[in-house]
Amino acid sequence: MDIMILNYKNILKKGLGLISVFILVASIGSCEQFELPEAGSMADLTPPSANFSASLNGDYLTYKFDNLSTSATDYVWDYGDGNSSTDFNGANIYSDEGTFTVTLTASDKLGVSSTFSTNVTVVKPPKPVVLLPVILEAGFEDYNLPDGTGDGRDSWRTSLGEIMQITSSPVYEGSQAAKFPSDGTRIAYQELEVSVNADYVLTYYYTMKTSPAGSITVSVLGGALTNLANAASQTLASFKGTDQTAESTFVQVDLPFNSGNNTIVAIYARNESVECRLDSFSIREAD
Amino acid sequence: MKQIQIITLLVMGILISSCGEDYLDPSPVSNIGSNGFYKNEAEVEAAVINIYDGLQLAVQREWALTEMRSDNSKTRSSEGEWAQFENLDVKSTNSTVANYWAMFYNVIFRSNSVLENLDAAGPSATQFEGEAKFTRALSYFNLVRLFGDVPLIDKVITPTDTDYFDRDSTADVYALIVSDLQTAISNLDNSYKGRASKAAAQALLAKVYLTFGNNYGEAQSLCEDVMDSGFSLVGFHDVFYSERSSEIIFAVEYVNDIAADSQDFSLEFTQDGRVRGLNYATPELVQAFTDFGGSIRTQESIILDAVDSYRCGKFISNSTANQQNGNDWIVLRYADVLLMHVEAIMAGADVTTSSTAVASFKKVRDRAGLPTGSSITKEDLLNERRVELAFENHRLFDLIRFGVAESVLGTFATANGIVFTASDLLLPIPEREIGVSFGKLTQNPGY
Repeated sequence: MDIMILNYKNILKKGLGLISVFILVASIGSCEQFELPEAGSMADLTPPSANFSASLNGDYLTYKFDNLSTSATDYVWDYGDGNSSTDFNGANIYSDEGTFTVTLTASDKLGVSSTFSTNVTVVKPPKPVVLLPVILEAGFEDYNLPDGTGDGRDSWRTSLGEIMQITSSPVYEGSQAAKFPSDGTRIAYQELEVSVNADYVLTYYYTMKTSPAGSITVSVLGGALTNLANAASQTLASFKGTDQTAESTFVQVDLPFNSGNNTIVAIYARNESVECRLDSFSIREAD
Repeated sequence: MKQIQIITLLVMGILISSCGEDYLDPSPVSNIGSNGFYKNEAEVEAAVINIYDGLQLAVQREWALTEMRSDNSKTRSSEGEWAQFENLDVKSTNSTVANYWAMFYNVIFRSNSVLENLDAAGPSATQFEGEAKFTRALSYFNLVRLFGDVPLIDKVITPTDTDYFDRDSTADVYALIVSDLQTAISNLDNSYKGRASKAAAQALLAKVYLTFGNNYGEAQSLCEDVMDSGFSLVGFHDVFYSERSSEIIFAVEYVNDIAADSQDFSLEFTQDGRVRGLNYATPELVQAFTDFGGSIRTQESIILDAVDSYRCGKFISNSTANQQNGNDWIVLRYADVLLMHVEAIMAGADVTTSSTAVASFKKVRDRAGLPTGSSITKEDLLNERRVELAFENHRLFDLIRFGVAESVLGTFATANGIVFTASDLLLPIPEREIGVSFGKLTQNPGY
């Protein structure tokens, strides 16, 4: 029995050996079908793709270009002003303002390339200028509008209340001033165009009769006033004048305010209980 | 016998009559399935709470993807997968990144689940819609800033909805973020700090607009709305240890010693953590505290751990179980809004002297015991944000938003022998997500 098993094993071994030889021969034979190296290779599924982002890096003339290309090994930058580079990331200092086409050519070792271009506009950043508004009929004089008309208060009217009166005495300067009778029903209102978040100083002069006790309040409101009830919540700054020492001596008020997130502010004035006068508004940028 | 027969008949009659259609289609009583759930307000509210449960998981490793990829923090041991962040060499196989992606998409899924079942929520539908849209916007805002173009999923999808698997442009993602936050602003009030609120949505939308860089006026109004909503600065220590204080606008809440409602990042910030210390201050951050921090903030924010090694001083836990920390994770707080207000007024310029900007800046500086000048430069603002909000996951996004990430991180990398390229500013799309996307998700450049 043992011997027989051994024999079977031998036969099995021989058989396997024979099969191996066949396979070997077959493999050698099959090699000849693939002589060309390209024949079995795959197409490049990930060809280079050029891309970059441009950003300022220092002053307005200095740019840097961050390479965001994929599947590439070699890079050529053309900065559009005659300068070029073969670095991975690009950087260029332009000599003057202008629009430049920056081109990145990214290629791989198979010689496949991809280009990406973008325009950079080199422009000197404008100095932020604070808009200085013009207060119309600031001294309440007649014929003072730009077109030569006006009754001294045309620029101060609002549909929200009755306009204040005009007086010829006392005045701070010129020949007229605004007058608010003691019943406190009259309003002066004018909208001004301003820069956002800018600091201004509004200057004006007021006086009032020595009795009864009262006040005149000048407010600067953020945005146009559409409802008198919102005046308090829109107030950016206000001053309540109560100096009743002399009825014809004008008192100067400097009211600083910041325009906040508003391109329009409004001057809004009204009095309480006593006859008051306002004159000579002016506005300037805060120091 | 007769009585028994009658009873039997009655019982049989009851049994027969009870065989309605329900008998053949029973709802499971021992399990909850999404098909049979969301029948009333309480059940939809459970789904809303479930969103915050998702956030409790999702934010716990965010510092690795943000602070440790900036010049603020690093690991203590510089080893293994965690060191990929500080080396700006994050692999697409990084498990922390993959988990972050999955957990925030899970929050999005939970938000979408609420939004699809608002009909059952009755009078609370408006509130729940606002909350779900806020959390969805927060998730997408994080994902789009970290990964760039991401799949935009605005409904509950199933594994066969392959149309949703490819990446959508950041512009489309931001469009959803803005509309979600606008809905949240109109639907919510300021009742909560651990759940979404109007102020939280306003502050987040302000940050979105600042990120766009072309909508500064809107950002300023939103900040001013929050500033008019009764928030205030508290003592710097109390920001982190007096939870739900008047400074907190939105926080992810945790409770000490409750496994399901606690966090472990407080532990990981120490040598006792599983990786022997993560999110440790870089020497550059320590220097920034010396230069700009002031003593109050410095002693509260960084703690000397060993010679020349400082760990995070915020979120220190007093829990009994050391892995079950209860310190809330602050997402939005008032100081951030004040500094965003300055940023909005500066409106992309290099400097501002506007008194409203200076006033907001001064509030933050006053609390830190530091003087304020009459003008603020962009660099002043960036430095102030760095030391005020260190370890709160703002630095990387601030650098990118201010347009200085390439130069600052480039300098930082060179000084530390790290290789930095602009493509490092976006994380790789996790390999396992690409693997299950049927070839629809593509990788970011540089990975």
